[in-house]
Amino acid sequence: MHDKQFMKETLQDSAKAYQEGRLDRRTFLALCGASGIALTAVMAGDAEAAADHVVMWNWGGQSEECHSSAIGDAFTANTGKGLKFDTSGPLEGKIKEMVDSGNVTADVADGDLFNAVSLGPTGHLEPIDYSVVSRDKTLPGYALEFGVSIILYGYAFVYDTKAYGDNPPQNWADFFDTAKFPGMRSLYKWANGSLEAALMADGVAGDALYPLDMDRALTKIQSIKEDSLYWGSGSEAHSMVVNGEVSMGMIWQNRGRNIENDTDGRYKLVNNQAMAMPGAYIVPKGNPAGSSVMQFIATAQEVPAQLALLDCLGMTPSNPEAFGQIPEDQQDYAITSAKNIDKIVYNDPEWWGKNGGDAVNAFLDAIS
Amino acid sequence: MAEPLEIGSLQIRNVSKIFGTFKAVSDVSLNVQKGEFLTLLGPSGSGKTTLLMMLAGFLDVSEGDIALDGASIAGVPAEKRNFGMVFQGYALFPHMNVRDNIGYALSVRNRAVAEIEACVDEMLDLVQLQQFADRKPGQLSGGQQQRVALARALCFAPPVLLLDEPLGALDKKLRVEVQEQLKVIHRRIGTTFIYVTHDQEEALSMSDRIVIMRDGAIEQVGTPKELYERPKNKFTASFLGKSNFIHHNDKVYALRPEKIDLIVGVDHQDARMNGTVSSITYFGSMQRVIVDTKEGQKIEIDIDVWRNANEVKLGDAVDLLWADEAAVELQMG
Amino acid sequence: MQTFNRSIHPGWLIIAPLLVLVVTLYLGPIMNILWLSFTDPEPGLGNYAKLGESDALLRIVWTTVRICIVTTLFSVGLGYSIAYAMVHCDQRQKNYMLTLLLVSFWISILVRTFSWLMLLGRKGLVNGTLENIGLIAEPIAFMRNELGVLIGMIHYMIPYAVLPLLVSMQSIDTRIMDASRNLGASGSQSFLRIYLPLTLPGLVASTLLVFILSLGFYVTPAVLGGGKVLMVAEYISVQLLVTLKWGTAAMLAALMLFGVLAMLWLMSKFMKLSTVFGGTTR
Ligand SMILES: Nc1ncnc2c1ncn2[C@@H]1O[C@H](COP(=O)(O)OP(=O)(O)O)[C@@H](O)[C@H]1O
Ligand SMILES: [Mg+2]
Repeated sequence: MHDKQFMKETLQDSAKAYQEGRLDRRTFLALCGASGIALTAVMAGDAEAAADHVVMWNWGGQSEECHSSAIGDAFTANTGKGLKFDTSGPLEGKIKEMVDSGNVTADVADGDLFNAVSLGPTGHLEPIDYSVVSRDKTLPGYALEFGVSIILYGYAFVYDTKAYGDNPPQNWADFFDTAKFPGMRSLYKWANGSLEAALMADGVAGDALYPLDMDRALTKIQSIKEDSLYWGSGSEAHSMVVNGEVSMGMIWQNRGRNIENDTDGRYKLVNNQAMAMPGAYIVPKGNPAGSSVMQFIATAQEVPAQLALLDCLGMTPSNPEAFGQIPEDQQDYAITSAKNIDKIVYNDPEWWGKNGGDAVNAFLDAIS
Repeated sequence: MAEPLEIGSLQIRNVSKIFGTFKAVSDVSLNVQKGEFLTLLGPSGSGKTTLLMMLAGFLDVSEGDIALDGASIAGVPAEKRNFGMVFQGYALFPHMNVRDNIGYALSVRNRAVAEIEACVDEMLDLVQLQQFADRKPGQLSGGQQQRVALARALCFAPPVLLLDEPLGALDKKLRVEVQEQLKVIHRRIGTTFIYVTHDQEEALSMSDRIVIMRDGAIEQVGTPKELYERPKNKFTASFLGKSNFIHHNDKVYALRPEKIDLIVGVDHQDARMNGTVSSITYFGSMQRVIVDTKEGQKIEIDIDVWRNANEVKLGDAVDLLWADEAAVELQMG
Repeated sequence: MQTFNRSIHPGWLIIAPLLVLVVTLYLGPIMNILWLSFTDPEPGLGNYAKLGESDALLRIVWTTVRICIVTTLFSVGLGYSIAYAMVHCDQRQKNYMLTLLLVSFWISILVRTFSWLMLLGRKGLVNGTLENIGLIAEPIAFMRNELGVLIGMIHYMIPYAVLPLLVSMQSIDTRIMDASRNLGASGSQSFLRIYLPLTLPGLVASTLLVFILSLGFYVTPAVLGGGKVLMVAEYISVQLLVTLKWGTAAMLAALMLFGVLAMLWLMSKFMKLSTVFGGTTR
């Protein structure tokens, strides 16, 4: 994959050189021949080939199907353009690598809003065109220069009703209280959410979390280290709970329903003090489809798309217009539903974008 | 070298070895005298190695018993038997130099360094490898390796030395040289040698006694001369040297080629057979003549070229003569 | 022609094109890593200085080395017994064992890792059984800790340890061991003075292979360590993908690379490496 991209890139460079007369025809043809790539494909370049669709970079699994039905179909109806996928997972490092290599193959990445803060100023992202995308169709503070929140996910926890049935844990303070609630815990390994939960458990108010007091948070984290496991992926978090390895587990809140089902209701989701995380669409610098991707992002903001994403992926709308339309049976599992919205706290992408790297390393140091 | 050995006689009593349903050695009984050079001679697959392995303790006997100086050693493990052994292919320790190879047996017995050194030097002397003491086996020729194997097996003064085709890997000329050296060494140290070979010349020239083996059983035992002069049956007669077989009055006689006289042309009155010369092969010291007899048999005759003035030519009509005692009556089968 | 032949073995000419390819394919990225480690985020020795300043990095390196050493000791030790058994059992048993060994190469590391959780986890088969028969009241913490990581890694590494040992044991003439017994050596003497030295090249090859492969372990420590056992490979990956500290990642990668090279160099002081990698002593 990588080699092919490299080869094509080289050839496109030489095509330009040939057209500008810096490279003689014979050398250029030899180069094309050697790499086995058709001459026309190289001369046409990537932009035109890509102009009839946008490429979404997401995490695979269900999301491909869901993004197609929730956003892709409407986008195609509106613009006549298709939707294609790269499902390799747009981790921050991969976005940076793609843009640095000069071979940008994705138009929009299903990332985190804090990615927009860390990668935007370094020139790795295209600014969001707010003449096409709406600032009002997301939560206040979640429409940033280089990214806009489309959905919300979150950190909540589940507990074992068999262990704590009569007097269930209510909040993060209970989660960190291993004296009152003995048993193993699981927390997210890459610090996000775990730090905030620790601070809330230590008495910090949900709206006064930022800037995070790292020392205080890590001390709290370490106080239950002996009783903690740490997960690095949603499926790992899921299996730690479902296999009965922990009595209380921090999870991605959208997985709450699955866990309740998979354990026949033995484990129950607690949304109180759940941390809403803004998932965002961001555009790698020099994306092949150019500005047409903005229409795609705008489509995703619309209420039907927002509700379809909730239905299909369990991702909560971040467009306030959609909050009131969340169906009854989704209310418990949607972080911004009428049932939950007053109990939750909000993540600050600015803080994470600027301090995330150091926070993750400090967290890893504390737990290992 | 240690003092002359007091022990070293072996008694092999009705020993058999059975692999599954296959009898590799069957009912072998044999007394080996102390200091004797005894050779097990037989074609490949006749059970020589198997018998030797039982003597060395690497294989259990299936039936029978083995005794050293009258005391059974059937239950004694190989490492406690104190029998020297020169393996087919030598089995030298490739990571040790010659000196350490030779000293190994004493070294694992935790003998003093000085004693080991003395023994190794003596052995190096015996096999004339002093200048190769620090080499690894991989840096030695086949003949030299063979001598290291011998020295290694002798260093702890074993009462019995077992040798399994020790010269098999050497070329003809070297083999004759080493045969000489082995004989000299045997004479010097007086250890009992049990020597396995499938080479009849080697057996004849080296042994005090030869045991002819066939299909796991002993065919005949005797001194080289006894076996050569008085073979019991066709197998021994043809395995040890060459032999013509003459049928007469329902009996079979072995007749060695060099014991037949050949007279050209005349109808000699003592002639036992006559015929025509069909082949003459020159070997330098003698020539081998093949005569087709009237009875339709081919008889081989070795003629001393030097003494026989009258030259034989192909197609000559000849008479064959021999003394009565030259023809040995054989058991049938 | 004579002098030419003496200075360059003709074999080199045949593999020369391949060699050029390999060198460019490997040396390029290695140079890139070195370059990054001295230039990102700013030029200088900053990334290397962190090793001295940060306990965290040293601890990760030490954890990695410690786990790899223990993994290597056990894998090679167990591998030695397994290889020995394989060489000395009959042909049919040997074929079974070899098949099992090769099959284990085909099972993905993820599957193996999660199998261990099923087997030895808190609610796994073993703990479940022990609790049911009343031998233990609380589950034994086999998994989600350093012990779990070691179990998973050793299990993964044993087949790699066995193969070089198998090759070296198979090449030993059985008569050599007979000869040692015949000369009066006890079992342990024969083993220590003959067998072990003769299998030493295989032992060293196996040790190097297992140790170097262990350094790159990622999935097993991440999963079986329950997040608390952080090894270099996982840390590098986090620095590349999450925290964007590419300089730190490159520095650690370079450290591992030169650590391994230094180890090889040290070993070459004590023995001819060519014998380890299948050459002859002669
Ligand atoms: N371990 C064994 N299992 C089965 N058969 C064997 C074994 N060792 C030897 N034999 C058989 O026993 C017979 C005698 O073998 P061996 O003693 O090696 O003969 P020699 O040394 O005279 O050539 C051969 O037919 C051989 O195949
Ligand atoms: Mg044999």
